[in-house]
Amino acid sequence: MDLSFLPEEERFRRDVKEFIAARLDPLTRRKLEEGRVPSKPEIVAWQRTLNEHHWATPSWPSNHGGPGWSPVQRYIFLDELHQAPAPEPVSFNVAMIGPVLIEYGSPAQQERFLEPTANLDIWWAQGFSEPGAGSDLAAVRTSARREGTDFVITGHKMWQGMAHHADWMFTLVRSDPLAVRKQAGLSFLLIDLTSPGVTVRPIITADGRHDVNEVFLDEVRVPADCLVGAENGGWGITKYLLSNERSNIARIGMTKQLVKRVKRLARGNMTILRAAARIEAELKILEITQLRVLDGQRHSATPDPRSSILKLKGVELRQRASELLVKAAGPAALEVRNDDEPFGADDEDWIGAILPNYTILRAASIYGGSSEVQKDILAKGVLGL
Amino acid sequence: MNLDLNDDQEMLKASLERLLAERYQPEQRRGYAAQDGGWSRERWADFAELGLLALPFGEGDGGLGLGPVETMIVGEAFGRALVLEPYLAAIVLAGTAIGCGGSNEQRAVLLPGLLDGSTLYAYAHDAQVVAEPSGRDWRLSGTISLVIAGNSADRIVVPTPAGIFIVSADAISRRGYRLHGGGGAADAVLDRLHVATSDRLAGDCAPERVIEAGIAFLAAEAAGAMQAALDITLDHLRTREQFGRPIGTNQALRHRAADMLVEVEQARSAAILAALLSGATDPLERARGFAAVKAVIGAAARFVAQQAVQLHGGIGVSEEHVVSHYFRRLTAIGMLLGDSDHHLDRLAAMGGFTAGDGEVE
Repeated sequence: MDLSFLPEEERFRRDVKEFIAARLDPLTRRKLEEGRVPSKPEIVAWQRTLNEHHWATPSWPSNHGGPGWSPVQRYIFLDELHQAPAPEPVSFNVAMIGPVLIEYGSPAQQERFLEPTANLDIWWAQGFSEPGAGSDLAAVRTSARREGTDFVITGHKMWQGMAHHADWMFTLVRSDPLAVRKQAGLSFLLIDLTSPGVTVRPIITADGRHDVNEVFLDEVRVPADCLVGAENGGWGITKYLLSNERSNIARIGMTKQLVKRVKRLARGNMTILRAAARIEAELKILEITQLRVLDGQRHSATPDPRSSILKLKGVELRQRASELLVKAAGPAALEVRNDDEPFGADDEDWIGAILPNYTILRAASIYGGSSEVQKDILAKGVLGL
Repeated sequence: MNLDLNDDQEMLKASLERLLAERYQPEQRRGYAAQDGGWSRERWADFAELGLLALPFGEGDGGLGLGPVETMIVGEAFGRALVLEPYLAAIVLAGTAIGCGGSNEQRAVLLPGLLDGSTLYAYAHDAQVVAEPSGRDWRLSGTISLVIAGNSADRIVVPTPAGIFIVSADAISRRGYRLHGGGGAADAVLDRLHVATSDRLAGDCAPERVIEAGIAFLAAEAAGAMQAALDITLDHLRTREQFGRPIGTNQALRHRAADMLVEVEQARSAAILAALLSGATDPLERARGFAAVKAVIGAAARFVAQQAVQLHGGIGVSEEHVVSHYFRRLTAIGMLLGDSDHHLDRLAAMGGFTAGDGEVE
């Protein structure tokens, strides 16, 4: 039994660290350190820098432009990005639609989309949730009607993260309203957001930011070559997408980053430092749990239901750290500030984003499978209840 | 990275589980608890025969030369079966002190009796004792408290600022008592107790090493006991019917069981980290790691123990049902060798794992 990384894995970690230090725009890094949201050009620039080395698409196989990394390398890479901190490659592109196109896309779709998806020439939005379909995703009502070879789409999608930056949207639509099982009547479609009938509207979230959107689809024509997989075969593809790429779902590096700030802002307050130590202790142990799940992937390629433990505990710790950060910053954090404010002096600890980030991080236990859904998965999939 | 057990480790685990399945059922355990000292000399002899008492000691000392992973396997199996015999006190705590602090000569004298189970050692982890030179020998004064298995021990290992001493239990007047959660302990006052220089361990052994070994064992024991408590709770959820259906169909209870699983898996991770940390050479890395391990183990054990009782309903607080014994043992594990708050304070005092200035360990 051995938890240590191989020498080549340690070397890989050093390479990633050095690469980030050399190539990440210091202003982007500072924004992330202060909890500000990076701009679209900053995210695009960083993803293209990574993509020069095939690093923008960690989980893609090398014959499709990925780096051909092992699960351990993928884990190390994301951990270094989180700790730097550096932006993650856009997950809608890299962790969601990319692997789906590789697994289910036609050769023509792969040819058309994969390269621009990796390079962020196309920015993808995720089009799953609807007002009536949250945790119960198979309840989607957006309809797809066949007209000749085209699909005609009408419906209302919600919570599209960064869709105002996006060019295309992958989406789950109801193509057979008569299917007996609601899961059996769904198709997976790619929609060009510049198509007539598409309206993207901002949803301003409780942090005061515009990060998510709703998308209205009114008789939008989608050509048949934008159907992924079989007609009415969308549910299997969606389950594949959602279970995919969970190799760093605990986001331990991000939480470490928050705890570091807590300790800096605590200025010796022992109550806060003890609470920080409690988070760090649990985080240290969660890292081992993370490595155990990773180690399990050597034996089995199927998704491990235990990764739900990582999501649950990882989110719990990240939310606790963000809350402790509010406590450490104190009531001064109540002042409404703006992400676009100019940077202060180099040694200034800008606390303007602490309260907004605490607020919006409450969503982390709601998206990506809510904590309650994760517990259902564990009760059924691991405990057999 | 490879978290599999090797073939020998799998074999150790299997033979241990076989022995405990045969001789450590809850009714049998009740009988052992009623024996003198709160544990069974026969089972202790079984463990000696299986080589468990010799397991962590070097082959030159007559031991099996096995490592912390094997000790973890023993701890987990013992936790599962709620073993009462003083393995933690004699082999892990006292054994680590003698193994790391004893000269070749001292180990040759002390270890044979420890390894074959004929002499029972205990370790005074809570010792407020000073040692003063007295001629060529020493005089020890102070108190030792809650010496685990001190009620049964033949010899007690006592750490002092002037070194680690072995004192004969017959030479002191001790107050022995039973512990909630199983086993026993003793307190004693040492008043200018004469100890020969040959009974002062000659080597340099930091008492922290002894406590760390103890924490590693407790972590493994907790992981085993928590898994067992979860397993019997799941059985109960599947079979107990109320309102005409198994209670495990209620989402509130299913989610509680999932919460228990999360903590059980964290406990197992803590046990693994502790085993692997034992080989780390940097004392600060070890100190931080073991503080995190014990802090997490204490909190996780408390949660799982409380929920296991809650989900069993009224029977969960009966002496008869084994779940109440898991509750008591897990409570004791949380309290021994420093509780969660104690270790969190230590971790905070060491600056945690990441420095505030942006340096990441």
